[in-house]
Amino acid sequence: MNSLAVKRRRFILTALIIPVTLLICFVVFPAFDLIRMSFTDWDGLSSSSNFVKLENYISMFKNKDLWQSLGNNAVYFFVHLLMIPVELAFAVLLNSKLRAAKFYKTMVFLPYIINGVAISYAFSYFFSPVNGAFDNLLEAVRLGMLKQSWLSDPKIVNFVLAFVSLWRFSGYHIVLFTAALQSVNRDMIEAATLDGANAWQMFRYIQTPSIMLMVDFILFDNIRGAMQVFDIPFVMTAGGPGYASSTFTLYTIKTAFTFSNFGLASAMAVAIMAIIILIYLVQNKLIHGIILKEDKHDENA
Amino acid sequence: MKNIKKIISAAVASVITAGMLAGCGGESGGSATSGKLVFAIWDNNLMEYIESNDMVGKFREKYPDADIEVEKIKDDSEYWNSMKMRASANQLPDVMFNKTFTLSRFQEYLLDLSDTEACKNNALAEGYALNGKVLGIPMTAGYEYVYYWKDMFEEANVSVPTTWEEFKTAASTLQSYYGASDPDFMAIALGAKDEWPDYPYMEFMPALVNGNGQNWNDMAKTDTPFANGSDINTAYHRVYDLFTSGVLGKDPLGLGNDQATNLFAQKKAAVIALGDWGLQNIQNGADSIDRLGTFYLPVRESASEPFRYVVQGDSFMGVTTHSKNPELAKAFVEWFYSEDWYPGYVNYVSSASSMTNFPKDKDPILAQSDEAQPDGQPVMYDGGGDDFTAIQNETAFDYKKLGAQMLTDGFDLDAALEELDKKWTEARGKLGIE
Repeated sequence: MNSLAVKRRRFILTALIIPVTLLICFVVFPAFDLIRMSFTDWDGLSSSSNFVKLENYISMFKNKDLWQSLGNNAVYFFVHLLMIPVELAFAVLLNSKLRAAKFYKTMVFLPYIINGVAISYAFSYFFSPVNGAFDNLLEAVRLGMLKQSWLSDPKIVNFVLAFVSLWRFSGYHIVLFTAALQSVNRDMIEAATLDGANAWQMFRYIQTPSIMLMVDFILFDNIRGAMQVFDIPFVMTAGGPGYASSTFTLYTIKTAFTFSNFGLASAMAVAIMAIIILIYLVQNKLIHGIILKEDKHDENA
Repeated sequence: MKNIKKIISAAVASVITAGMLAGCGGESGGSATSGKLVFAIWDNNLMEYIESNDMVGKFREKYPDADIEVEKIKDDSEYWNSMKMRASANQLPDVMFNKTFTLSRFQEYLLDLSDTEACKNNALAEGYALNGKVLGIPMTAGYEYVYYWKDMFEEANVSVPTTWEEFKTAASTLQSYYGASDPDFMAIALGAKDEWPDYPYMEFMPALVNGNGQNWNDMAKTDTPFANGSDINTAYHRVYDLFTSGVLGKDPLGLGNDQATNLFAQKKAAVIALGDWGLQNIQNGADSIDRLGTFYLPVRESASEPFRYVVQGDSFMGVTTHSKNPELAKAFVEWFYSEDWYPGYVNYVSSASSMTNFPKDKDPILAQSDEAQPDGQPVMYDGGGDDFTAIQNETAFDYKKLGAQMLTDGFDLDAALEELDKKWTEARGKLGIE
């Protein structure tokens, strides 16, 4: 090995010491400690705790409020998932030669930079049953009969909250898609245009495959976000009525801080990590196994 | 979603800051009256008073070598979260506050203050001693009131109720009188979306049914405390009847406490049950409070029973075992409750004094409750000790949430209480509580 290679290796190793140490201290070690805690009955206060084997995991599986909370997470997941194609379409639109596209981009991104708690607080007034702006809006367009108990009817509350989440995060996804679309190879686009590809063919066969990495990321971000949603239900409904709009994270925090059961809460945190990874793997399999496979078939044909 | 990260990083930051502060205290701590203290609070009114009256400067006039860092935490639930984390990290502030329901949780981190003058002059402190130790000196005496608009009562021809039945009837009369013309009207304003605002009913009524301030602790001694005929069963059936009679307006679960209080202040509701602190909030939202009145929530079944109302110590100031200057911290507690500071503070807030040597006249609006019930019996409320807290955590019994659940469709109170009994029995067995 020449001296340059040795030097390079030494430089890389030295440069890695700090990030790796930080990673071990603040990510790896806490993660292992979380797993260790999930097997104890620690109450968050005592200096000691007992090893309880799988008890926390068993009681977690038996907890129907927790299952209900997880079901509520699914609402966010599917609502956001259904909107991803729409977001992509918006991104394509904003990426085309649209007048004032920059202005629209800023507008769609704006909700994302506003503080989540402020948004939730504002929307809880928006959907208020007394003097609520949304009900007044319905009245104004003569749709008063559609008025609902937006935040207290267990049947619709999760959809209302998912809508707020959509309002907040869609712009973020659109901007990410736009950025990815801008990086698509110009030559390829020009070649396709010369070959007579129409807008749909361009979108289907050039743009989509080129931004697959970003699609992957956004799909993962959707799972992570939907499984960990916290601030919107926390501020708007506190998970109520009952546990009707509680989410997995909300329930975990309640378990830890209201009921002083950090052991059980740790088990829940481990479980949500596992769930996120599991859903991601399944989703990945579906997308790459079915959609992309289809592309390969097309290519062969 | 991103907020969890924010909360965690804020918590980590506060732990680190506290560590640094505690470190400073340790270094400068020499004699008993020198050094630095960290004083953690959540109360906005207290913070405002501390700043505008230069508490630190005044304390240093008496203890020139001492310094105090006042640490303000957003609100009380955030306060408990932060204190729990700091307790396990050995980083509690020198002086902290507790509520009746947190005293037992933090007892191993609090020093005994029973030998202080502040304790001797406090009317309530000894009533909350745990194992003979006074772990905190209550800063105020907390009372619960029902606020009402006199003009609305007069117009609907309703008089101030003195029994539970009368209270229910008054509420439904108000609802049908004003609700006829205003579909948004609520006889009783309740911000049930936030859940906690139902505490005057869900937390205190079980103690008031038979005047047992130790109700939570007594519940920990039996396997089936929710069974028919128990105080809590009786109380919750009364609450359920009231909540489901339509007197809370069309959608109480859609409103938070801020909204409910504002609507009451604007006379869109006739009645609201809140603590003494609620008066300031109503005042802020109302055009005039000339016609505002109060009465104690009547829980008794008939006029032949004694009229009971809750009184509790609030904001228990305690010295923690993590303090590097416990003597100075105790001196601060003594000073806080002395003539140099306490009388000014207690006159500034709407709450009542807890000190026998500095009595305070009640606000005229709040005093109306006592005038209406001159023979009323105060019930000293205990938020629940170790055993109760342990069972409560094990069973995830959340009375405030239960109150909000009563308002949902298809809620079956008897089934809910039966299930609680089942969980209670299991929890007592598991925890080995006799």
